[in-house]
Amino acid sequence: MSTQDVSAGQGSEATAAEPPSFDITRAHPARVYDYWLGGKDNYEADREAAEQFIEVMPSILGGVRANRAFLRRAVQYLAEEAGIRQFLDIGTGLPTAENTHEVAQAIAPESRIVYVDNDPIVLAHARALLTSTPEGATAYVDADARDTGKILEAAAGVLDFTQPIAVMSLLVLQYVPDEDRPDEIVSRLMDAVPSGSYLTLSDTTTDIDTERVTTSTARLNARLGPAQSTLRSRAQIERYFDGLELVEPGIVPMPQWRTVPNTLVIPVFAGMGRKP
Amino acid sequence: MSSEPGGGLPEQEPSVGSAAARMMLGGQLRRFREAAGITPEAAGWHIRSSRSKISRMENGRVGFKDRDVRDLLSLYGVTDPQVTSAMIALAGQAQTQEWWAQFGDILPSWFEPYLGLEASASRIRSFDLQFVHGLFQTEAYARAVSALGRRGALPDELDRWVAVRMKRQELLAAAKPPRVWSVVDEAALRRPVGGVKVMRAQLRRLAEVAELPTVTLQVVPFRAGGHDAASGSFTILRFSEPDVPDVVYIEQLTGAIYLEKPTATDHYLDIMNRLSAISLSPEQTIPFLSDVSRQLQT
Repeated sequence: MSTQDVSAGQGSEATAAEPPSFDITRAHPARVYDYWLGGKDNYEADREAAEQFIEVMPSILGGVRANRAFLRRAVQYLAEEAGIRQFLDIGTGLPTAENTHEVAQAIAPESRIVYVDNDPIVLAHARALLTSTPEGATAYVDADARDTGKILEAAAGVLDFTQPIAVMSLLVLQYVPDEDRPDEIVSRLMDAVPSGSYLTLSDTTTDIDTERVTTSTARLNARLGPAQSTLRSRAQIERYFDGLELVEPGIVPMPQWRTVPNTLVIPVFAGMGRKP
Repeated sequence: MSSEPGGGLPEQEPSVGSAAARMMLGGQLRRFREAAGITPEAAGWHIRSSRSKISRMENGRVGFKDRDVRDLLSLYGVTDPQVTSAMIALAGQAQTQEWWAQFGDILPSWFEPYLGLEASASRIRSFDLQFVHGLFQTEAYARAVSALGRRGALPDELDRWVAVRMKRQELLAAAKPPRVWSVVDEAALRRPVGGVKVMRAQLRRLAEVAELPTVTLQVVPFRAGGHDAASGSFTILRFSEPDVPDVVYIEQLTGAIYLEKPTATDHYLDIMNRLSAISLSPEQTIPFLSDVSRQLQT
């Protein structure tokens, strides 16, 4: 079977402390994102928080679609032009159209994808709905983005760490506060993968549409549970790519990354770097 | 639209099933009515009918006459001919004769809408506590289940009930099948409905359908302890049309409940999500089925 859980016992254990996603009275990032995308896997608290954000920043609706489009273009580039066959996708989110493995396996059916999330509801959806081609593999790791040791150990059961791996982190590090050193999370992951591997990353910034993104994020944070959104400067986002060779056109506003010219203004930077 | 005589699968609808078409049309009519500030009573009177007819129409529970749709649109001040013709086209789709019309003699009125919704759904999530889900039942198991609730039924009636259930299952092999994500309680697997032989064959069938790319099966094992679905089995039907809300279906002995208000469906979605999270993963479920089969006492 080509679809698997990589840590023993995952999926059958209910933990004593309720994970945040079980609290439907507070908004949850994955469910708010689902609402913005037009999904139906969300609750009243998520819809309310999402609408509060939209009120200040209506462009979020185009923004989340632009993030999915960025994912598609990036995975297509990695699979087609860079010849990557292994993906480590941190912060899976609730399944939607064109998930990482679908884009990759449409180009190379043998592609192997490890999805990482720490949310039991997201993981239940991923296990049920993100199923692999017979030639390739999909696996799900129950881990927090900060727990790179656990991520790498579990991923080693599915991915070959002597071959290039594409590490993906799309709109995820903004949920890691400064004191948990998101830059070190990235460097620990990139240290573990071989030369020829890639980092693909998008993150929300204070440097585009500053006033609106600050106000709307404050509104959202007031309604989110423990996972709060931290906005970052361009300089902070650039630091994630330290030591990597940037793929053209470098770190740019997300809607501008390797696509046709357009007028979308979305406060997100995106980029891709190759490990030399 | 007529299906091929003697043809295999039921004819696929060009876009949406009749139930989804009714819900879309009904929802649109409600929005137009509310925008025009017209009460359901006034709307009902205008089409020579009642408030409750308007409510059933707006909830997508009944078919639509072209004349009623036209009269309501003009009452609501909707004069754009393009809108009108799109609504009339939708009304036509909502009238499509479905295969279960021929079983009208045995199907209770509260169950028929479910068949329409199921056939229109893009995702079906079910929790089954007592019995294996109808879409996965073998003929022998379906016959045993059907007989349970109908002590006085004639053999011919049972045949027709089983025929309905088997016909429903053609959905799984349709050109664009729904995604079926089913959580089944261990109790339903251990209860040898129809006897051990029938149950073993049923468990084999479950393992087969679980391998379909569009089906996900998870077992809530006894060892997961108590769970949130205290009220028993339920099904959440989702439709690909953005405007059509999820419908929760709960079957009772002499009727059924259909919920579509978010305040109610949120609660069931939460319970379904919790059940999926505490269940065995789809991968762990397959060997579990054969373990249960081995342990059935003859």
